[in-house]
Amino acid sequence: MKTFPFVGQFLGRLCWNPCVIADERSQRLLLQCLSCLYSAEPLNAVERKANMWIKDMLCHLISEEGSVAHTTVKHAGVTPKRYHSEALQKVVSLMTEEVIKSCDSLPNTARCLNGNIHTMSTACVALVICPEMSPLIGALLKHFMLCGSSCLNQEFIKEINEALISKWLVLEDEAVVNLWCYSPSCLEGAAVSFLESVLSGHETMTQSLDKHVNDSLLPRASAHHCHIFLTVNEIYRNVLTEIDENLAVRALIQVFTACFLQRLTGQKPQDRLPLRAFFPNVTPCLLTPLLTAPSEVPREAWLDHLSWIRSLLQSVTENEEAGEDGRAYQAVFEAWFLLVQCGYWVDTAAELLVLAAPENAKSLLWLLTFFHHPTNRGHQRSQQTAVAREAWTHLRMLFLTRPPPPRHLCAVKELLSSSFSANLVLHLFSNFTVFSHGPVSIITEITDKVLTEAAVKRRALWILALIRCRLNSAATRDDRVYSRLRTLQDTLLQT
Amino acid sequence: MEAVLRHLTNILELLAVSQTDHVSEWDRHTTLRAFQWAEYCEQLHSRFQCNPAVRSALESALSDTNQRLQQALPSCSPVMFSELAQCQHMLLIHLLTNPSAPNSVIPILFPDPKTAAQDSQFDQNSLITCKSAFNLLCRTSDRTSYAGLHVEAVVRGKLLGNLLNSVLSRTGNDEYARTLLDSILHDSAGKPESLYDVIAAALLSPDDETNSVVPHFILAWLQEQDGCLSKLCKSLSPGLCTVISRQSREFKQAYWGVLKQWASCLEFDVLEGLWVPTSDEPVTFIILTDRFKELLNSGPPLKEETETELKTLKREAGDFNVKGICIWTDVIIQLKL
Repeated sequence: MKTFPFVGQFLGRLCWNPCVIADERSQRLLLQCLSCLYSAEPLNAVERKANMWIKDMLCHLISEEGSVAHTTVKHAGVTPKRYHSEALQKVVSLMTEEVIKSCDSLPNTARCLNGNIHTMSTACVALVICPEMSPLIGALLKHFMLCGSSCLNQEFIKEINEALISKWLVLEDEAVVNLWCYSPSCLEGAAVSFLESVLSGHETMTQSLDKHVNDSLLPRASAHHCHIFLTVNEIYRNVLTEIDENLAVRALIQVFTACFLQRLTGQKPQDRLPLRAFFPNVTPCLLTPLLTAPSEVPREAWLDHLSWIRSLLQSVTENEEAGEDGRAYQAVFEAWFLLVQCGYWVDTAAELLVLAAPENAKSLLWLLTFFHHPTNRGHQRSQQTAVAREAWTHLRMLFLTRPPPPRHLCAVKELLSSSFSANLVLHLFSNFTVFSHGPVSIITEITDKVLTEAAVKRRALWILALIRCRLNSAATRDDRVYSRLRTLQDTLLQT
Repeated sequence: MEAVLRHLTNILELLAVSQTDHVSEWDRHTTLRAFQWAEYCEQLHSRFQCNPAVRSALESALSDTNQRLQQALPSCSPVMFSELAQCQHMLLIHLLTNPSAPNSVIPILFPDPKTAAQDSQFDQNSLITCKSAFNLLCRTSDRTSYAGLHVEAVVRGKLLGNLLNSVLSRTGNDEYARTLLDSILHDSAGKPESLYDVIAAALLSPDDETNSVVPHFILAWLQEQDGCLSKLCKSLSPGLCTVISRQSREFKQAYWGVLKQWASCLEFDVLEGLWVPTSDEPVTFIILTDRFKELLNSGPPLKEETETELKTLKREAGDFNVKGICIWTDVIIQLKL
């Protein structure tokens, strides 16, 4: 105030501006400023005058202007706070009714009362984080869905989006989905910020990844609106191609797709779009085998189902090796990406490998290798297949014989530390730990010796998260497996 | 009970002192104690608001104390029972507007938002937010919805209706409800037009149309106030009066009564060939016929009832068919019935 006296005038103007004081955040700042300016022991006339001005301002902020307002509040029989809270709720419900009524009277092609809706949305820009406002905000967003012509204030949409992301605002699920339909940039923001939260909130995420994914509302929105699914998919796919071999992103894609498919099957058949619409780039014959979840296929049929998948994928890769054009390469990428999305089948293959007979293992190992190394870069495929087989053999020995032979322990450890096929070996290792028979005590023993680095342990937790999600959606619950899963998780979380 | 009455007296003295320069002796401790007493007072109000026996004892203690304080400190305003619900708020306003309030006290009442707890009794955040949000929203809405009433009047009317409903739902509170309405009317003596809008909204307010307790009560009260009903009807638009008449038989009858009264103030000026007002009430023939026109445009059953009523009035006044003798004849001719 000493350097810039006009600041006082400015603060005064702000106190009279309802848009500023209605927003809790700016209001607190304003009150803080006033509180700083107040002198508990004024030393001169200027400070005394400032104090008087501040008291006037505070008085104005908490009392009524206008005789009717003043008198109705004075004799209301409740505190002013309660009166205004009820008044606000009532005005919101009246305005919400008005918006809903204007929706009902719309035939699909008529233009609605644009002006009124736009004015309301402009007024709501400052009020977005006020909790009593959410019914009106929801109704305004819904109005767009029914009306079709966009008449909501752009600032309003922007404020809602920012308030949602920073958790100042809570809306009903349907309103959030409507917002995403209205504004593609809001959708993109939500998808990206969810990805960021998954990558950074490591431990909570791995504990209940499917719940977090469902809570983000992305699967629900995607099931109801094809364009939302395609947008979100595109974003995550781009991220995956940028960050190679990132298990967290793969896990997110896998769980997102699984939750999305669950929602789809929950829809009424007449509302359902064909799967082709959601997966336009993939060879159609791959859709049925991969998009059918393992929980929908009887356990005895899993091996045959996986053989089917393998033969389809193998023919796609053989096409690529034969031909030289980019289209064949594209087909391989699309097929591989679909496999990443439907990663529950790869996990199933890994589970079956634990108890598989050698003649069945070949098919399953091919699948696993393709999943982790889709391209034949430097013609390494045969090498990778060999590594996979070697790992599988060592792991079988490790978990079948007691006590665990040191020779195989070292072999597995070495394979894990080489960067050549670390993820594949880790994938197999985790599955062997969870699904093999044998005492639970062995889990801690082996894991402590084999998984020593923190980074490796973090990656293993992602694999476990996927196993857990798949088990959660299974028809029956196997307590033995769950307890092994918990033990492995506890071992990994110990630092 | 004795103790309660004593406490009430203390609180009133507190409120009175907070408006004088004795308040300069208050320190932090005194201020916090004062607010604790004020809070206790609010609880008293909410417990006994609808209990006629206890409340009347409290009210008589209040009026005694008010009288006493008026003599000792003429500048203090008397406190009504209904205002006790906002004791803390009143105290706060007194301290803010009293120039003698010590400077150290204000920071206690408005703690720095950064350091203070969110739910402290001095946190004005949600009051300010709700009030500004309410004002903002009221300004954006236009008059075309809500039967021509402004949304602010509708909300205040509904809240008033709810208050009256809860007070009247327990027996023995009629007098108190009347006092409430009296106070509201008295306090807005400067500009009663906006208040009439609120009252109209309160008449329309019950969401459950079978509940006619509140409209009946308000109408009875209006008819007790001299000329109030007539002023209210004049202030409200013809359309709005019609809407209320459709919803409430009682109001319809009362409204017709007012219109008849207005008609009786008109005389036929033979020279001009017009009906002209005789008293100070500037109700012209045109205004009268407009009112009836609106009633007739409203549709069944009000339309038919109004027609019947007009024809009956014409018949009872002599059944003239010539202009200039009976106002009802002329009204009917004007409206081409």
